[in-house]
Amino acid sequence: MKDDKLTVSARKLATEISPQRDLWPGIEEAIQTPQPRRWMPMFAQAAALVLLVGASSAITYITVKDQQQPVTQVTPALLFEQTSFGGRYNLGPDFQDARDELAAQLDDELARLSPESRSNVQENLEVVHQAIFDINQALAEEPDNALLQAKLLMAYREELSLLRRVGGLTRNVMMRNDI
Amino acid sequence: MAALLTANRSDYSRPMAENRTDAVADEARWIRQAQRSDSKAFERLYRLHVDKIYGLCLRMTGNVSEAEDCAQEAFIQAWKQLTKFRGDAKFATWLHRVAVNTVLGRMRKSKREQDRIQAVSDTSATTFVADDTGELRDLSDAVNRLPSGARHVFVLHAVYGYTHDETGSMLGIATGTSKAQLHRARRLLSQQLQDQGFEA
Repeated sequence: MKDDKLTVSARKLATEISPQRDLWPGIEEAIQTPQPRRWMPMFAQAAALVLLVGASSAITYITVKDQQQPVTQVTPALLFEQTSFGGRYNLGPDFQDARDELAAQLDDELARLSPESRSNVQENLEVVHQAIFDINQALAEEPDNALLQAKLLMAYREELSLLRRVGGLTRNVMMRNDI
Repeated sequence: MAALLTANRSDYSRPMAENRTDAVADEARWIRQAQRSDSKAFERLYRLHVDKIYGLCLRMTGNVSEAEDCAQEAFIQAWKQLTKFRGDAKFATWLHRVAVNTVLGRMRKSKREQDRIQAVSDTSATTFVADDTGELRDLSDAVNRLPSGARHVFVLHAVYGYTHDETGSMLGIATGTSKAQLHRARRLLSQQLQDQGFEA
């Protein structure tokens, strides 16, 4: 078969052909189904961020309110500054050690606080834990979302910072009692 | 007499030209409405283009039910991407590209190509197109039996007239590969059609 004839015949195949069934009902159903709400993870992130900032501010307020005199608190550099996690990273052992140690001391530290302060600290810890839970849920859907990973890291840092502040707060109380 | 002829020609041609202009204007209006999420306007666009898109899908897939699914999904994708259509090209051309991408995407995703080839060889009658007769039907069947790479290039370049650059761009292959696949397709078609007594 000559190419010319093949070319000419091939062009004749570019015809309009009606499908054997009406495809519109399926299309209509698909395009009228609401799209999945992509803003939900972003909303969760924003809510988590607001909760974190709120919790941080609240615990700072409690700490400052209970202190009669300014106490210089020496905060060591974050042990896990270089750690990260999410789809690409794992928590470093330093972070885990620091968190475990502070968590183990938490009950003792809380017992030294006034009932009001203790209640506030517990509430703020719950807020941070809820934020961690929410971000983890969002990460389950988008494990490679770098923003979510960063938020989760920030939440864990906030938790560790909170635990440290509780330790510092009770030590300050003890210092005042000692005096 | 010449004036009369001119007048008559003008009278005859005016309605056709006006109809064409109206159709273009209608399409442009429906596109704008559909871009504002008017599904009724999109249905009109669907009715206007479905036969072209289904024809392309049928030639690309060689299978009736697969072509129907592809055409359906192509329009769904077009709806989702409609706001990206800026009118730089004709709507039909844009829709064509969406359909080609849909066909290729489905084939890559489902990995059913091998099954499809088997199904086509078993039930080639399902690809029969009423308008295809005699030699054209033989050619259509032979195209359906081509390996997917050669078939896609042949359909886009030889059937629909895309250049090798455009074909390569749509299929994600180099221009040279497109030319090589076309050469392969021609060779295979010539062999198949010769075996079936297709006269040159």
